Amino acid sequence: MEKEFNAGQAVKADSFNGIDIYRIDTDKFKTSSIHIFFHDNLTRENVTKNALLPAVMRRGSKAYPSLKDISMELENLYGASFDCGVSKKGERHLMHFYIEFLSKKYTPDGTDTFEAGLRLLSDIVTRPAFVNGVFNEEHMISEKDKLRILIEGRVNDKMSYSMERCLEEVCRHEPYGIYDYGFVEDLAQITAEELTRHYVKMVETFPMQVFLTGNISDAEADRVAELLRGLTRKDTLALRDGFTAKVNVEPRYVTETMNVTQGKLCLGYRTNTPPGSQEYRALMIYSGILGGGTHSKLFQNVREKAGLAYYSHAMLEKFKGLMVISSGIDIKDKDRTMEIIEKQLDDISNGNISDREMDATLKSMETGIKSLTDSQIHIVDFYLSQMMSGTSDSFGDVIKKIRQVKREDVIRAAQKITLDTVYFLTAPEDGQQAAVE
Amino acid sequence: MRFEKLRYDKAGETLYGYEHSSGLKAFVIPRKGYSKRYAAFAAHYGSIDNEFIIPGDDKTTKVPDGIAHFLEHKLFEQEDGSVMNKFSALGSSPNAYTSFNQTVYLFSCTDRFTENLDLLLNYVQSPYITEDSVEKEKGIIGQEIMMYQDNPGYRSFYNLLAALYEKNPVRIDIAGTIDSISRIDKDTLYKCYNTFYHPSNMAVLVVGDVEPEGVFERVEASIRQNDPRPEIERIYPDEPAGVRTDYTEQKLAISMPMFQMGYKDGFNGRDGLDLIMYETAVKVLLELIAGRSSDLYESLYNEGLINSSFDTDFMIQKSYAFSILGGESPDPVKVRDRFCWKVEEIKRKGLDQGAYDRLIRSMYGRFMRQFNSVERISRGFISDYFKGVNMFDYLHVYDKISFKYVSEILNKHFNQVNLAMSVIKPV
Repeated sequence: MEKEFNAGQAVKADSFNGIDIYRIDTDKFKTSSIHIFFHDNLTRENVTKNALLPAVMRRGSKAYPSLKDISMELENLYGASFDCGVSKKGERHLMHFYIEFLSKKYTPDGTDTFEAGLRLLSDIVTRPAFVNGVFNEEHMISEKDKLRILIEGRVNDKMSYSMERCLEEVCRHEPYGIYDYGFVEDLAQITAEELTRHYVKMVETFPMQVFLTGNISDAEADRVAELLRGLTRKDTLALRDGFTAKVNVEPRYVTETMNVTQGKLCLGYRTNTPPGSQEYRALMIYSGILGGGTHSKLFQNVREKAGLAYYSHAMLEKFKGLMVISSGIDIKDKDRTMEIIEKQLDDISNGNISDREMDATLKSMETGIKSLTDSQIHIVDFYLSQMMSGTSDSFGDVIKKIRQVKREDVIRAAQKITLDTVYFLTAPEDGQQAAVE
Repeated sequence: MRFEKLRYDKAGETLYGYEHSSGLKAFVIPRKGYSKRYAAFAAHYGSIDNEFIIPGDDKTTKVPDGIAHFLEHKLFEQEDGSVMNKFSALGSSPNAYTSFNQTVYLFSCTDRFTENLDLLLNYVQSPYITEDSVEKEKGIIGQEIMMYQDNPGYRSFYNLLAALYEKNPVRIDIAGTIDSISRIDKDTLYKCYNTFYHPSNMAVLVVGDVEPEGVFERVEASIRQNDPRPEIERIYPDEPAGVRTDYTEQKLAISMPMFQMGYKDGFNGRDGLDLIMYETAVKVLLELIAGRSSDLYESLYNEGLINSSFDTDFMIQKSYAFSILGGESPDPVKVRDRFCWKVEEIKRKGLDQGAYDRLIRSMYGRFMRQFNSVERISRGFISDYFKGVNMFDYLHVYDKISFKYVSEILNKHFNQVNLAMSVIKPV
């Protein structure tokens, strides 16, 4: 009997006022970290404000009024990292603030890095550098400009841009289709007063999750709880579950042109399998067999056999119930690539899964899950995802559940998948302008 | 079995080392409590090694650009199929990368480590290259090259190197070009393999929760050559002083200009502690002049001339060294000019001792933090090893480096005649 895998356990240390605090105690890292997440529903109304808020907050707090003051403190703390930003998981919009620092036992002079790190992070989150009771106008204008550049800069990385665009097209009538960093045209109307009101709303009403990882003592965890108890909190916002099932869809074809050398072909699917269900485990195996590594059907057939692409892989969006297959190909090979990709999906639906494919996928998934426990941010993200899908599995539990998946389960998951959108990023033909069609 | 054990108590790390009769060195850096076990088998052979004298030959051999990377792709193929399938059956993920100076084959696993290690050691020693498979690979690598051609970060980096260097092969893309790889064939691949993949030109590194002795036993049992071989003579053309051109520009489908600029450094030939002392000095200087806590960063950021994508680095090897600064900017030339003024101002006024102390402290912390990640340990260790550096020597550097030494390097490295800039503009 194989020993149960129990690395990277998270323990709920405290819960009050819509704030959950988790501890992940481990000695193996050189650093410790504090993560704070605020959850909002992804909406057109809030998305741009949510994206702008952390950007303005990181420009300075009461005790560290400028970017330079914050940087100097991080350098003093043996090159600690602080950052914040937004991301989406399904139809949730997450604002993430974190600090990671060298644990006290590795500092040559015994600096209390936890105390100093917590002081800096909590000052940034709870005591912004207001001018006359609102955010610094100058900082806000400067960060609006930088956010605009960031939104416009999406196109710079063609691989991630094409995958995101494909899934946005799938969900063009649903909140998931909203880009996490918001809309350039919504920036102008945000005033310092409004952003400040939004900040108060975030701190008072958005559900919060706090993770402490590394070498953290009970006294230190208590300090965090005590600090958070001091926050004024009101009724916490009710969060929405974003999962959507959709069958019998007629696939849409979207072509976008840009001056590119390589074409990016992305196929967007509805998985019709909700997160947190045992069927989701089968779906994970499915996407692994299809396009999750060198043993996968896509890698073997699109790349190794046909030599059409350097990369061709499948990726799941767990919470919304989506899958995207992405390949970088020669523009003229689009139809041939489509054909090979669709054949791989049909093969799995028809039960054409070899023992080797099944076995290699299970093993690689198990390796992947165990490997997550070697990184503090991956451990945090794992538990965050668990909580969001209403499960409380440990790493070991997930491995156990994956091992129970049978070939029939994978085939059932395959049969539920529906192609929704074919997105192709390509070069304009001669004499044509770059555009979206 | 004889092997060495070196303890670095301050860092809480131990390094185990073993030397095989062929001259191959193997190392283990244990990581107690980690799930991942990671092994790398590396050849001191990279994209810049395109001209050399094979030991025993009297004439030089010149090979097409991109061949080291091509060979890396081809080694995965074995007589009985792709080695990737065998790794998959063991639940591990194999990978490989080629840089300017080395080719590294690796895997990461959580179970059945010894079987994975045996597989790695064996396949890298068993090339099986056929004419058909070489032709098919040209398609795959062709797509890889095209992918990089649309990537503004890659383009601005390689364009900068091509601006800084006239002759040094570091100016050529690691993957080569569609044209250069079209000239690669089976025989040339074997010739490169036989020259550079001798164990005396290779190293093994294992990072993870493993027993060092067991690893060294597997290495001893698997290495098929028993005798060392003389050094390969690598031919790097003499590089003229100054830069080839001080400005270069390309247009791509991007939203805002991106740039990389840097100083070509005459430092060369030295290795070991000398080399990383110099490297650390230039890195501290870049932070002092343009790092996050500098006045220059603050004013450029506030004026919207840079954003948080702005970053600095310094790359140093025996045969080349250059600094690099870059990011997105609406006006890259203005950023360059402001940087140059700042350099001159600091040269006049001298460095700030307080900031220097703080930054050395920060660099020490960041060095320690990389031990969190098995991948970062491995990448750092191997790259250092082929420069004649033991990664843990950085601990001495942070102790020994002085304000005076760093001040001297300021005048040496930041010399306007060695500065070039590469800009990518929107179409």
